[in-house]
Amino acid sequence: MKNRLKELRAGRGWSQGDLAEQLAVSRQTINAIETEKYDPSLPLALKIGKLFARPVEEIFSLQE
Amino acid sequence: MNKPNLMETVEPGSGQYSFRADLRLNRWLAVAVVLHLVGQYFVGHRADWSAFLRATVALAPLVPGLLYVRSWVGFVRGLDEFQRRIQVEAFLFAALGTTILGAAIGSLNAQKVPTGPFADGMGLGETFMAMLCLWSVGWGLAKCRYK
Repeated sequence: MKNRLKELRAGRGWSQGDLAEQLAVSRQTINAIETEKYDPSLPLALKIGKLFARPVEEIFSLQE
Repeated sequence: MNKPNLMETVEPGSGQYSFRADLRLNRWLAVAVVLHLVGQYFVGHRADWSAFLRATVALAPLVPGLLYVRSWVGFVRGLDEFQRRIQVEAFLFAALGTTILGAAIGSLNAQKVPTGPFADGMGLGETFMAMLCLWSVGWGLAKCRYK
């Protein structure tokens, strides 16, 4: 799955640690999502969507 | 929001290591090891003890062992979903690896192939040490996989 997390995070000027703290996950989790090594669970994806005030499908998309 | 547990807090040399967190997680392991060593000594030197007493002393480490498992279950449940996946993979690797190792040693012993210190199979201590080593390897492999 592709995602725009890194771009959105950078847009807010947040570090991976800042984002991790807001989502109550570890920094490694954010790194693994951004490098597309790990797909987040639906609750975490929804939390990310809520945090960035965007629909989940705008942040995450299936790889063609 | 609640902060998740971090594996780094119980990983010496990680930069975020906390002796307190490590002690809270692993204290029952220390108790189990001490009971195992003391038990080994007594079982080896007190042949006059009844079978029940010897069995009680030999199995005593299982009680702190179960409490140790409980500490780990609580800790793993407090990890975030990604860290939990890594730990589940590492525990699965350790459990399956130990099962295969035990079966292999059993087969070799059945064929009278010398297995050195495992001539009588794997004891409680050896099984635990094998699981610990394989868990470390599994953890390392899982971390590399998601790096």
